[in-house]
Amino acid sequence: MSATGTCEYQPKDYKSDLKPIWCPGCGDFSVVQGIYRALAAIGRAPHEIAFVSGIGCSSRIPGYTTAYGFNSVHGRALPIAQGIKLANPDLLVLAAGGDGDGFSIGGGHIAHLIRRNMDITYIVMDNQIYGLTKGQLSPTSQKGRVTCTSRFGSLENPVNPLLYVLAYGAGFVAQASPTDLVGMAATIEEAIRYPGFAFVNIQSPCVTYGEEAQQIKGLKAISESLAGLGHNPADRLAAMDLAQHYGEKLHLGVFYRNPEPPPTYGDLVKERQALLSKDALPKERILDLFIKK
Amino acid sequence: MRKDLVFGMAGSGGDGIVSAGDSLLQAAAAEGYHGVMTKSFGSQIRGGESSCRVRISTTPILNPGGNLDVAVALNWEDFLKFGAELPVSGNTVVIYEAATGIPENQIPLVGVTPLQVIAVPIAAMAKETAGTERAKNTVVLGLIAGWFGIGAVAVMKGIRKKLAKKGEELVEANQRAFDAGRAFAMEHPLKASMNVIASETKGAVKLITDGNDMCAAAAIFAGCQFFGGYPITPSTEIMQFFTDHVWKYGGAVLQAEDEIAGIGAAVGASFAGKKSMTATSGPGLSLKSEMMGLASIAELPLVIVDVQRGGPSTGLPTKTEQSDLFAAAFSAHGDVIRPVLAPTSVADTFRITIEAFNIAEYYQTPVIILSDQEIASRKETLDPIDTTQFKIVNRLRPAGSDLQDYKRFKQTENHISPISHPGMLGGTYLASGIEHVESGAPTNSGSVHARMNDKRTKKFDPLKDRKDLFEVTGNPDAPIAMVAWGSVAGVCREALDMALAEGLNVKLLVPYLLYPVAEGVYNDFFASVQKGLIIDQTHLAQTFKLLRMHIDLPKGVKPLARSGANPFLPSDIVAALHSLLSELQRSHEGNLQPQE
Amino acid sequence: MAMRGIDFAKLSLMDALDLAILVEDEAQERYEEFAAQMDLHRTPDAAKFFRYMVENEAKHGRELSARRVQRFQDAPMAVSRTMIYDIEAPDYDAARAFMSPRKAMEAALASEVKAHAFFEAALPSLKDAEVHALFAELRDEEILHQTLVKAELAKLPPDSGLSDEDFVDEPAPQ
Repeated sequence: MSATGTCEYQPKDYKSDLKPIWCPGCGDFSVVQGIYRALAAIGRAPHEIAFVSGIGCSSRIPGYTTAYGFNSVHGRALPIAQGIKLANPDLLVLAAGGDGDGFSIGGGHIAHLIRRNMDITYIVMDNQIYGLTKGQLSPTSQKGRVTCTSRFGSLENPVNPLLYVLAYGAGFVAQASPTDLVGMAATIEEAIRYPGFAFVNIQSPCVTYGEEAQQIKGLKAISESLAGLGHNPADRLAAMDLAQHYGEKLHLGVFYRNPEPPPTYGDLVKERQALLSKDALPKERILDLFIKK
Repeated sequence: MRKDLVFGMAGSGGDGIVSAGDSLLQAAAAEGYHGVMTKSFGSQIRGGESSCRVRISTTPILNPGGNLDVAVALNWEDFLKFGAELPVSGNTVVIYEAATGIPENQIPLVGVTPLQVIAVPIAAMAKETAGTERAKNTVVLGLIAGWFGIGAVAVMKGIRKKLAKKGEELVEANQRAFDAGRAFAMEHPLKASMNVIASETKGAVKLITDGNDMCAAAAIFAGCQFFGGYPITPSTEIMQFFTDHVWKYGGAVLQAEDEIAGIGAAVGASFAGKKSMTATSGPGLSLKSEMMGLASIAELPLVIVDVQRGGPSTGLPTKTEQSDLFAAAFSAHGDVIRPVLAPTSVADTFRITIEAFNIAEYYQTPVIILSDQEIASRKETLDPIDTTQFKIVNRLRPAGSDLQDYKRFKQTENHISPISHPGMLGGTYLASGIEHVESGAPTNSGSVHARMNDKRTKKFDPLKDRKDLFEVTGNPDAPIAMVAWGSVAGVCREALDMALAEGLNVKLLVPYLLYPVAEGVYNDFFASVQKGLIIDQTHLAQTFKLLRMHIDLPKGVKPLARSGANPFLPSDIVAALHSLLSELQRSHEGNLQPQE
Repeated sequence: MAMRGIDFAKLSLMDALDLAILVEDEAQERYEEFAAQMDLHRTPDAAKFFRYMVENEAKHGRELSARRVQRFQDAPMAVSRTMIYDIEAPDYDAARAFMSPRKAMEAALASEVKAHAFFEAALPSLKDAEVHALFAELRDEEILHQTLVKAELAKLPPDSGLSDEDFVDEPAPQ
């Protein structure tokens, strides 16, 4: 117990006994460490955390934490996470998945979670490939990329996850990578602390299917700190301008943080519940609603 | 001398076991044998437990086989993980890595005394001859060549070809490892020779492929010009085949953003007049239901391949099962009949895929091909197929007269209307999911709805008379019967042969058409039957229940159903048939008692 | 690799010793993780070496703990693991399925180099003479550890020159 009487948690308190099945060298090992550290810094009890994911290598992550985990179906972590948060607003709710899970099949859900501004943190482990199913094209693969389903080169332009989320009006958008472990843990912590929807895109290399240039060494060569560039995270347009370089540059840190976070969906629901509950009929009398006046 | 050998090999991904199995299969084919290879692995993407089973025979192979004749264990921990998939019996020769340190009389196989157990210093030989322990798999191939007479020349020929671009050093290292394995085998002959006799068809052309590639190739042959899909194990290879080849035929393929978009694009391509296809597994089939319903009411031809895996939900992504039967037949709300076909082997996947396209085009309907993980991923050698024997059926196009006041859903005698597509002058119509009158215009009239439902269901009646989509073998009037489909059919065919050889009076029905249920065919089949088994890999005995919904099965016909990843062996089936025979004999004896 | 919330100028000897012990703990845990990864991905030789490193780190940790107890008995720790990150632990990126013992040793060597650089860089900021001496000692220890690992490397037979990828199975779709 610390001097203030709150329980202090160490990163290892968030680590479960399940041994990760990821290929050795996978970027996701660093990501989950970053999550342990971020949660320890925040100090929330593990059993009060709900961690939802979809399907993919990175979606295995909830099982490696001591939070209540839900490794659901492909692309549907966000609707499930929203349901959890609405059912129990006091829980700390995290969502995670890969670039395919999030921006391909899951793409339709992101906009709506953003517009609702629920206090959920969404972490995407972006490696520009479909790893679990053995190396197919992903929505963030570069045009011309050769994969199992694009042996003559991809004909498609990649989705820019940063612009996507910024354009829909998210209140907190950041990018991180195992190239900077301390920065990544700090960014994840900041995202979780942000009161509202927060998005962190993590460039987490796939050592089995990723291209050489996208491994840690290659990523380090193109990384730049947003803070170091003097970027002002309160400026959404400047953030979008920088975000355009996704793919050529790895900008690390916070692209955008709303300096005046608006009330979350949860706040508004709470307000409404308080307001309307004053006039509520007792449940046993609910059928009185149908009494013909 | 043997005519048939079943090899089962296990190790870890790093041992190159599957690679070895592949080389063995290729070599066997080169030597004129028939061969089948299946593989199985753990949940790690690299380096998990890994196994393969290779069956080699001088006669066509019906299924990957039951108990192993030869078991190769590069380590016991991994071998044992495969449990019932690699069954060892008293007739098995067990070869294992000496470096495990386990004495030959203490191998960890419970309740079985193999025919012979040999510890071989495989890793040491690999290290000594090739400079790396990783060459273990090539040593194993050498041992197999020496002990069983397969691939003495063909294996290295194949390896040379495969590694030609990687340099002479690598090839030579493999040669040395192979030679060492072979020499060891020669110096330590087996107690009982298990050489396979030479194949009579050596030198004949053989194809080697797996169910997924076969399905995709057949689709292109049938004229499929569009594929829309999404990666999902174990069907992704079908999409990959299209991304490699369809462009050459003026076609197109789209790896869509999700399963629904994949089938959506295929529906669109069909509306535009092209033969089109999508492929998925259980979870994707669930997602695709709405689009399948749309294709049914819009009467659009479409082929949907479902490569079944363990369910429900995410289930067992790398194991086979047959539990999508209900979903294939009934998915999508409303009164819909949607034909379901099931291949039983890599070889007949070709014919069944063409049939699926023909049925889809002729009846203007979505058709599901219910494949499974085993057929999809197993490699078989095949004799060349004469593609000229297959008729290709195309959708009924409107004749000139039809295009005067064209009615897309015109009632005809056989309920099939000529179908136009965008670009056809005079054929403009509105396709939709809403109920419609003959012209395609929306309606909410109950009487029109009943007539249209009639059209959309009665049009399939001739399908139920397609006896060529059913295979009946054995004694036609047998009182004991089996029904099995998909990969289980192969096991039952072998069980049938075994049972007939033992004098049992038994027959087997293999339906290629699972739905609509062809009542007439089943009634004819069951007329002589008193005892029977409806065999499938489902926990709920789905096939038995589906049949019971439509026909009256004899009382003595019961399900023999198991969850996936619990394979049936031919011996299991034969034992079950013997039980049925005993029951039958007991009930006859009862009937012979004098009646008062 | 960093220390968070630590004012090097004001760092006490007890805190410095405790931090050094935590650095060894972190490295030990990372080697344990690597050994588990190697087990799961059937790379036993690398697993064996990583377990050897687990023992080494544990030993260093025990030595430092003994000194701490001798000097400060069981005075409560004022520092915690959240203050250090990736000081001496090998990079996650260094591990690979099927990695050779040589690669495993190189990973260990790189982490010793990393730790050395860390202690060296901290020296100018340290004001307390005893703390300075401790960090200098820890820095020099890293050189000793590197020598030990290099000795192990020298014992290895030369690599076959053949690539594992030419023998191992393709990755398995899930």
